[in-house]
Amino acid sequence: MKKIYLHPLPVRIWHWVNAISFIVLIVTGLQIRYREILGLMKFREAVDIHNIFGFILIFNFFIWLVFYIVSGKIKIYIPPLNLKKFVMGSLKQARYYGYGILMGEPNPHHSTPDNKFNPMQQMAYLAIMLLLIPLQLLSGLLLWDAKRFSDFISLAGGIKIVDTVHVFLFLFFMSFLFVHIYLATLGHTATAHIKAMFTGYEELEEEHGH
Amino acid sequence: MSEESAEKISGKSTFGLVIFGPILGMLYVCLLPIIALMTLLVAIPELASAKKTDILQSSGMCMGCHSSQEFTKTFRNKEKMSVFVNEKDFKGSVHRFLNCTDCHGKISLDTHPGNSAMYEDRAAFTVAMASACRKCHSDSQLKAKPNHAFLTNKTNGPPCMQCHGAHGVKRIAEWKPALSSNNQYCLTCHSQNISKKHKNGETLSLHIDAAGLSASVHNKHDCSDCHTEYTRTSHPVKEFQSSRTHSIAVSEACKKCHADKYQAVHESIHFKMISEGNLKAPVCTDCHGFHSVGPKETYETLSGVPCRKCHEDIFKIYSKSVHGMAKAKGTHNAPLCYSCHFAHEVKVTTMTEKIKGACLGCHKDVEEAHAKWLPNAALHLSAIACAACHSPGSGKGIYLRLYDQETGKPFTEEQMLKLMGGTYEGMARKMDPHGDGIESDELWSLVSRLNEKGSNAKVTFFGRMDVSNGSEAHQLSFKKNAVKECENCHSQESDFFKSVTVAVVKADGRMTRYKAKPEVLGSMFSLLSLKQFYVLGSTRLKVLDWIGILMVFGGMSVPIAHITLRAITSPIREAKRMNNMRKEGKR
Repeated sequence: MKKIYLHPLPVRIWHWVNAISFIVLIVTGLQIRYREILGLMKFREAVDIHNIFGFILIFNFFIWLVFYIVSGKIKIYIPPLNLKKFVMGSLKQARYYGYGILMGEPNPHHSTPDNKFNPMQQMAYLAIMLLLIPLQLLSGLLLWDAKRFSDFISLAGGIKIVDTVHVFLFLFFMSFLFVHIYLATLGHTATAHIKAMFTGYEELEEEHGH
Repeated sequence: MSEESAEKISGKSTFGLVIFGPILGMLYVCLLPIIALMTLLVAIPELASAKKTDILQSSGMCMGCHSSQEFTKTFRNKEKMSVFVNEKDFKGSVHRFLNCTDCHGKISLDTHPGNSAMYEDRAAFTVAMASACRKCHSDSQLKAKPNHAFLTNKTNGPPCMQCHGAHGVKRIAEWKPALSSNNQYCLTCHSQNISKKHKNGETLSLHIDAAGLSASVHNKHDCSDCHTEYTRTSHPVKEFQSSRTHSIAVSEACKKCHADKYQAVHESIHFKMISEGNLKAPVCTDCHGFHSVGPKETYETLSGVPCRKCHEDIFKIYSKSVHGMAKAKGTHNAPLCYSCHFAHEVKVTTMTEKIKGACLGCHKDVEEAHAKWLPNAALHLSAIACAACHSPGSGKGIYLRLYDQETGKPFTEEQMLKLMGGTYEGMARKMDPHGDGIESDELWSLVSRLNEKGSNAKVTFFGRMDVSNGSEAHQLSFKKNAVKECENCHSQESDFFKSVTVAVVKADGRMTRYKAKPEVLGSMFSLLSLKQFYVLGSTRLKVLDWIGILMVFGGMSVPIAHITLRAITSPIREAKRMNNMRKEGKR
């Protein structure tokens, strides 16, 4: 079995810290927003935990940012500048998920350390990592101390706007999580990608017909 | 020697008599009618009076008894009065030429001294006796001075003797200088039980309690220091519509010395109400009294604080509060009304920042104390009225107030009217066209109208959590009773969010409240109109909840749908795999 070292240790740590933080933030976020429905913990506890993990997430984001920029690996997030190539690649990938995978066709994208994401992933994660996550962290930070950041909040249009953005993104991340986890099971075995996220090594399916 | 000279004289006089006797005799005869006439003239009044009261021809007979101090007269109500007449006083009086009977005309020896008393009491006797004065002193004489005329016209005016004395009556000019001060002069009448009527029929007592006046802080002042138009020689008669207009008018007098306080009052809600024609609002005298103005401390006690006269309901609530109880115990710095509301520049403190300033004035460590347990303490303190948590059992509500974000100041009703036109009365219809509580779209259209027309104002609503009425803000309790649980507010079920009020503040701090529907807090429109108000867990957008449900189901449906498709197509893949294996086997 051929193995490929796809996820360096810092990335793996970052990923799982992120994962835990996301779960905790989602649960406490739901608790804060829907106290009368959920009732898992006290409001105060939910807010405190939410704040702590919010800061962990902020810190973690910068670990990711610094690691990827310093190592130059950030380029794996950048879709091909050639539009035609990018569109074709995306279409090919979409066709795979919608049809090829059902027909037993092989994944047109082969992850390598330098080209980890398929064009669709590149597009999605670029938006998530450089737009949605920073926006979520920023809105969370503003809400964390609305008095201190009142000028920024006013600039953003008001605390209700900031909160709506924060909640909307939270709902997006929550729903995205289902897709993310599902897609993680679409390796050559159901656990292949997940294992790789622990070990760093992605097992590659023996290519038939070679 | 002396005999000789006497003889000489007599010798001469004999000769003189012969000559002058007839001349004198003739002169006497000629003058006789004149003398007779004069004698008659002198005697006639005597004869006349002798005819009327032939028994008492002179005071001598009366004084036989009345110079003794032992005699008294008993009225029907058993009240006793000495009938002693101080002869010396009488002789020194302006009436010294009169006889007793000139005034006491009805006295007759047949009936005097009588056994049965004619009068109910001394007062009735005095009033009856005053009619004697009218025998000589004509109405026109009495009414020559306006204040005197005013008194004598009164049915309840004091009888003459009350001011002028009875037997020792003196000319006014004689006793005026004897009065030690102006006040004594005025009190001659005003210590009496006198009153006047206002145009509306109300009675104004003109009686001055001399003891109260001398106990007041103004006891060194002359009456005319305040009543500037009144002097010994001038006593204008003024007329007022009612007691209120009188009180308001006389309060102007305080301005003379207390200009600073008067200025402060000018900025108060009380003054504002009066200037708007609400005469119920208090003026100086309503709190301080008229003549018995006490020192400052008089008004700084639970029993003396004048506010309770009108605000008794609030005072009752206050007296049960932690502050009221502390004050009752004698805690010297426990706050009373004026501590928060200020004595003269009385402000409407509900809904303004000023009241918080009043709390923080004493509770200086509030922010640090709250920060020890309350996250975002400063934020909480800015958005929640102290009373909202510290007066347990009070009604709660959200108050939405318009602010100009450019200036950070409240956007007032006056500014609104300027932009929107119309009247105060029409405002309610503009704010709430259906009269069923302001709805979310109405709230939004209000904000957008204010922003589109107000060229340089950036108007938005700020939300504040407060007790539902001003009285409840006074039932502040002990710290241990204050709200501490976050859930009290951070829940859609919290009472706060069931009552939403749009509070439009006037420039003077008063506010007009318009009921709004609680739904406005979670409506889509609130993103536009209530951008600056948001409470975790409580003011969530309804739409966002639905979007959330859709998104989560959408997210979950992707794997479900894909797994389903994969399950359906698994025979195809299986066939393909078998095919491949066969191909490989062939190889």
